Amino acid sequence: MIHRRRIEFEVAGRVVGPALAAFERAKKATRGKRAPKKDSPFGPPLEATRKLKELMTTHYLKGRYADGAVPVAWVTSGFPVEILRPLGFHAVYPENHAALCSVQRLVPELSDVIEKDGYARDLCAYARTDIGSVVSGKTPVGRLPRPDLLCCCTNICQTVLYWYRALAAHFQVPLFVLDTPFIYGSAPAHHQQYVRDQLEELVTIAEKVSGAHATPDELADVVRTAREGTRLWGQCLEQSRAKPAPWTGFDGFFHIAPIVTLRGTAACNDYYRMLRDELADRVARGVGGIKDERHRLLWDNLPIWFDVRGMSTLLAERGFNFVCTSYTNAWAEAGSKIDPADPIGSAVVAYTHIILNQDLPNRLEILSRLSRDYSVDGAVLHSDRSCKPYSIGQIDLKQRLSRDLGIRVHVLEADHGDPRAYAAEQAEGRLTAFMESFS
Amino acid sequence: MRTAYIAKQRAEHGRKAVTVLPVHYPKEILTAMGLLAVELWGPPGAPVSAEAGRLQPYVCAVVRNALAFLASGRADAVDAALFPHTCDSIQGLATLVKDFGGWNRPAFVFQHPRGASRASGRSYYLRELRALADGLAEVAGAPLDLGRLRDAVQLHRRVDEARADLLDHRRHLPMDDAALYALLRRGEWLWPDDHLRELSEARATLQPEPVQRGVGVMITGYVPEPAALFARLGEAGAVVVADDYAAVGRRVIRPAAKLDYTDPFEVMAALYWAAPPCPTRASDQGERMRHLVGLYDRSGAQGVIVHEQKFCEPELFDVAAIKRTFADRGAKLLYLEGELETELSGQSTTRIEAFVEMVSAARRSA
Repeated sequence: MIHRRRIEFEVAGRVVGPALAAFERAKKATRGKRAPKKDSPFGPPLEATRKLKELMTTHYLKGRYADGAVPVAWVTSGFPVEILRPLGFHAVYPENHAALCSVQRLVPELSDVIEKDGYARDLCAYARTDIGSVVSGKTPVGRLPRPDLLCCCTNICQTVLYWYRALAAHFQVPLFVLDTPFIYGSAPAHHQQYVRDQLEELVTIAEKVSGAHATPDELADVVRTAREGTRLWGQCLEQSRAKPAPWTGFDGFFHIAPIVTLRGTAACNDYYRMLRDELADRVARGVGGIKDERHRLLWDNLPIWFDVRGMSTLLAERGFNFVCTSYTNAWAEAGSKIDPADPIGSAVVAYTHIILNQDLPNRLEILSRLSRDYSVDGAVLHSDRSCKPYSIGQIDLKQRLSRDLGIRVHVLEADHGDPRAYAAEQAEGRLTAFMESFS
Repeated sequence: MRTAYIAKQRAEHGRKAVTVLPVHYPKEILTAMGLLAVELWGPPGAPVSAEAGRLQPYVCAVVRNALAFLASGRADAVDAALFPHTCDSIQGLATLVKDFGGWNRPAFVFQHPRGASRASGRSYYLRELRALADGLAEVAGAPLDLGRLRDAVQLHRRVDEARADLLDHRRHLPMDDAALYALLRRGEWLWPDDHLRELSEARATLQPEPVQRGVGVMITGYVPEPAALFARLGEAGAVVVADDYAAVGRRVIRPAAKLDYTDPFEVMAALYWAAPPCPTRASDQGERMRHLVGLYDRSGAQGVIVHEQKFCEPELFDVAAIKRTFADRGAKLLYLEGELETELSGQSTTRIEAFVEMVSAARRSA
């Protein structure tokens, strides 16, 4: 049975996924290349987007056959997946899955499933979506593999702990919580030791669950690959320092998927090399993510997944582009600290120094640095009802950014996942007024 | 009242005061260092200053009100603040007021180990205790003395035993719920000896036979606010016979094993893991459900009230499991949600009356 599942898993990843992608390519080629709409405010679409779809489709397709074939771990975005990969784990990212559900506006339906059981709508939309999907079995990706191990790291929020406790109760599988104490100023030695001790416990638990053992060289290889992937992602983002920026910050929200879900794999790195080269080429040719970039903005917090298109169009039509976001940047910063020479020790530093695990002066420093490096003249801070750790402090950040950098800053009330917590007309009206203040 | 008490403690005993955010913290260390802990649960009601506007309305009222209170200068009677990391919002508040204004006196954090009980968590907890003591020495004016810590741990054990006795023999106590909760919550700011004296006086009034005849209910939630809830329950004919408020029952530890006081830090660690499960300490959900069922069964309660503060994530994530657990047992359950109001809404009052009536009817028919 295991052999059959393993064959299905490998076939899905190596044959069916690529074959589907080739079929899609052929279909598109037959239809001919569609010319962008003349009145579109956007630049030409990125060629890499097609490859991104292939990559993620194959990832989720493989996932359908992963359980029973290979060990499966469900992990939070800030979890040190590098430790799991050499043990053969297939990693599923419920946050990424929830974002997919949100883009397809499935959150109300999935959330309703568990709200009737007592989950409050005030809880994180990602958590409600994911738990709702697990309980109902509904998912836009066909099927998610049942986990053998749940891994959450508190470096992005404490919410993930409650979310994964619920998953553990549902699946009746072990939950490993990597607890990263919040950093006020700098991390005391005993906090670092605590994280190191837990990482060593993780190795033991993950080996037990997978029945595999990784050599130091195998671990170092994955860490090296992950660090390279992070570096490449950073290079993609840095292309937007050019004027005009070759893509939009909203594009970045989608192209972030591989560094989140496939970090530490060759496929991830191959993809970002391709994306970086395409972006560099656009920079060289002066091709922008939007046709007429007149104002450059910074975005703070997660995107409004279900309204990315609407919002990006609203902005692009008026010559505004989000050239950098603190969210996408976070994936370029943390992973750069991991080191194949010391996988565990460097993971302690990398995974505790996540933007959301550090105090507000650090956040202000990051936002200020991004603002300067990307030459922005305004910022939008997404006050995200679903994400308190990211949103607390934004009122003060707004004042400080305005004062220190002399830029216009707008706090936008919305939600990263649930359209029921978002007043589109009101938000668009306020954004429009914000943009008019630049003229 | 609290300001006068703080001043009196300072004048008569030379004790400095530390305001402490909810929920769990090693109070024994503060006591051993001669520091009066004055807890800040909001306070209830409307925010006392416009500073609350520095936090979005979807942040819980306890944290928004605390920001307003601290930034308004109303906590200036104390010498320092302690922020135990029991939720993301308190964590955010700690950096907000300390780094961006609102609190310019010493500020300390205490970060609980989160996750399953593993060796790493236990050794971290011990080191975090010592780190807090080292930090507080600056305010206390002297380092922590181990002998005093041992005394403080024992003093807090006596406080806990007294609190447990009152809660466990609730029906024998000639005191209504409102008065009992007022008494128990005075421990949030009284010096432990003073609190123990009041608790002992109440214990002395325990009757050999039950005196509380109302229908028994178990209550769980974050903080027993508004206090008017207990008056409404009493009027409806109910009495709280089992308490699982984070602010009250979940801080009453009943260790199963005998404690060895040789190393007071080790005793504190033993007590920490013997404490009732609490989501703000990231306890296991299954363990918490088993604890609640045990509490419910032992108390003879005939209904459950889940009383939560809006936007309180640690608590809200457990509500579905609580509902499921007690539905499976056929227990009646009432869910109430508030925002730290000083009064209970008419709608909530009606729901309480209906709930108590329903539970009473079920008891009669049984």
